[in-house]
Amino acid sequence: MAKDRNKRPSRGEPPAASAGEQKGRATPRVTPKPAMKTLPNKRPGARRAPALRATPPEPPPATRTARATSAAGTRAAPRTKSDAGTRAAPRVNTDTTAITPKRERPSARPTARRGEPPAPTAPKSRATTPSLIPVPVLEAAAFGPPGITIDADDVETMAVDAPQFDAQPFDGELKEPAVDDDRVSGAPEHDVYANDYYMRQWGRAGLRGRSEQVDEFGLDPTFEARFRRGFEVLFRKYFRVDVSGLENVPGEGRALLVSNHSGTFPWDGVMLKTAIHLDHPSRRDLRWLTEDFVFHFPFLGTFLNRIGAVRANPENAERLLARDELVAVFPEGIQGIGKLYRQRYQLQRFGRGGYIKLALRTGATIIPTAIVGAEETNPLLFKLGWLSKLTGLPYLPVTPTFPWLGPLGLVPLPSKWKIVFGPPIDLSEHGPEGADDAILVNRLNERIRAVIQTMVDDSLAGRDSAFFG
Amino acid sequence: MGTGTNRNGLGGASLARADGLRIARVAPRKRVIAVSGASSFLGRNLVGLLESDDATAKIVVVDVQAPRTAGSKTRFYQLDLTQPAVDARVAEILGAEEVDTFVHLAFLSSPSHAGAWAHELESVGTMHVLNACREQRIQKFILRSQTALYGAHASNPNFLTESHAVRGLPHTQFLADKIDAEKETRKFAQSAPHACTTILRFAPVLGPTANNFLTRWLSRRFVPTVLGFDPLLQFVHEMDALAALKLAIARDVPGTFNVIGDGVLPVSTVVKLAGRTALPMPWTVLQQLTALGWSANAAEVPPSFLAYLRFLCVADGERAAAELGFRAAYTTREAVLDFGGALRLRDARLLQDAP
Repeated sequence: MAKDRNKRPSRGEPPAASAGEQKGRATPRVTPKPAMKTLPNKRPGARRAPALRATPPEPPPATRTARATSAAGTRAAPRTKSDAGTRAAPRVNTDTTAITPKRERPSARPTARRGEPPAPTAPKSRATTPSLIPVPVLEAAAFGPPGITIDADDVETMAVDAPQFDAQPFDGELKEPAVDDDRVSGAPEHDVYANDYYMRQWGRAGLRGRSEQVDEFGLDPTFEARFRRGFEVLFRKYFRVDVSGLENVPGEGRALLVSNHSGTFPWDGVMLKTAIHLDHPSRRDLRWLTEDFVFHFPFLGTFLNRIGAVRANPENAERLLARDELVAVFPEGIQGIGKLYRQRYQLQRFGRGGYIKLALRTGATIIPTAIVGAEETNPLLFKLGWLSKLTGLPYLPVTPTFPWLGPLGLVPLPSKWKIVFGPPIDLSEHGPEGADDAILVNRLNERIRAVIQTMVDDSLAGRDSAFFG
Repeated sequence: MGTGTNRNGLGGASLARADGLRIARVAPRKRVIAVSGASSFLGRNLVGLLESDDATAKIVVVDVQAPRTAGSKTRFYQLDLTQPAVDARVAEILGAEEVDTFVHLAFLSSPSHAGAWAHELESVGTMHVLNACREQRIQKFILRSQTALYGAHASNPNFLTESHAVRGLPHTQFLADKIDAEKETRKFAQSAPHACTTILRFAPVLGPTANNFLTRWLSRRFVPTVLGFDPLLQFVHEMDALAALKLAIARDVPGTFNVIGDGVLPVSTVVKLAGRTALPMPWTVLQQLTALGWSANAAEVPPSFLAYLRFLCVADGERAAAELGFRAAYTTREAVLDFGGALRLRDARLLQDAP
């Protein structure tokens, strides 16, 4: 098993590349790309995230290592083994490790060969992200250095790989004489090295449950994946959401979902995201804009940001649309979620039509969206203004459950939801200069508000009960 | 004007005067670069870099103390920018040494208790320097600034561009002085169109050898953070910061540029990557503790700086990439990792040295 384990890193990687990593430094990504490009689709086994490439059954292990260490500037260079990479001659030099007696290996491994004093977190250069989801290409490119474009493959490799811990059988494809290394001859305890449990759990002081790199707006793919399942259960079993008109949502390119906003606590953004992710064939990510007070609310704001919410702001929205993302806005804003139960499903003022200007400027199509059912999750009976001054909130909600049951009152009621996506509205005929025309913006704003109000009314008319549909 | 003509007559660029054009001297002319604040982190390393730079003829250091990186190219003038009539003295030096480029780095990297002195140095000192540059018709002026000047505000977009106002933070003299300096520099740029005035706004500088309030904050065993808030942070690696400075010297691109590392990281991840333990505290408690610590000299920053742990202050580096041609080699994450590696090494040495 893994006979050549400590030789692999010495092959096919630029010698200088891993030097910085050895010092516990992040090397600037200057490694030439072609080294990796010549080794396409050869990554074997792919313990995690194999989604993006075909995996031939038994490729040479060396291929993977070369790929991992050279990919995107050695960021995932294996700490202990890539030492060999710093030496000029491949393969032979690694025998220094072979001299080490068998018993000493586990302790000698992390620190001894680095010339550093023993640090408490020796295996720190290991990528620990159990990233099950491929990082989007766009995001990767956004972080790339000049002249080097990174595709999703690389990012994944950076984030995931731990080459020397791979239990890939040596298939004899390497032409060098095999060195008889009895330290790695398949003793059961060495399975420990082949397993990435330890690194995932404790490497880099325990980055489990979060990625090392968030996207530029703060979405943490690993963190989000932890909660995705819960949202899916909420979506399918709790709110039993019916989705219609999904064919109106484009599978790619920029688009602006404009929706009504309701429910005291903003569940609608999360459900909209889940709807697209579960039911839309493209399963694309939805970014939605949240109003300031939610975004800067302790814990809640951070949580929403990590799962994909962005602070509502024209610049943010424009940047997102420029990345060809699918963006959801709730133009009613705080007025929408803060409306009383007796005003339910009566759309409030759609702000000052900022989203219209946005659509005009970026050329994004508007997809009117109606969400029915969210009003009944936390019916807002009345608002306490004087207490809100004390707490710094715009209002303190009083629902049938909220202050009375304590935090338990925040649990939404299991209302039956319906999400309807209307036919897209193209505003491109007005051109980007239309954004400066206040009258036009206002008229379009009213028009879209009317469209959504009609959609909401239609959905309501077909509904018998708020909780049983 | 007389001095200008004389200076231009030197160094083989006099033909530029014949047709009245004021084009910055290019290839054949070697630069004479004056550096103020050369003992600061950036200054020290910049002097070291310029020493081995072929395009630099001479480095004129104007500071209270000679940088230890000074070599044969460096001429050191001991000057205190807080003195009242220092502008005349600076102008005299610039004229005598035929300086064409002034790199103004005389800023404090960490907030100081001596607020009045800091104001004299940063705000008034910049005014003195700019006056001297006006007098000598300096060709190029580079100011070191910070993205922190935008201030961390709840209303900030995720990415602040150079066109956003630098708002600073309330009751923060440290930022206000630097905003003053920027304002002065912009005025200078308007009144002296012949000069190429570049303002570089650096993201917080992080790296194995940088030392500022940020690195000291991250060096604590338990790093205080704000409970319930986890804003995104952005850093620039120290080498990238130097590269940007060098680039601004080499290329004549006037304007203001954010110098940043790509990518952002939440505070909690930064602390973890640095190998530290976050100690989240409620906002009011942390504020009181910091105020107490600041007055007792135990905290790195006054309490107003805690806004950076609550709200976003992240800049957009597109303009620097497009116009200046600067792209950071280190991402934010790599800068943190590099810093964390050095930090661990330091810890281990401390452990070894302990009796």
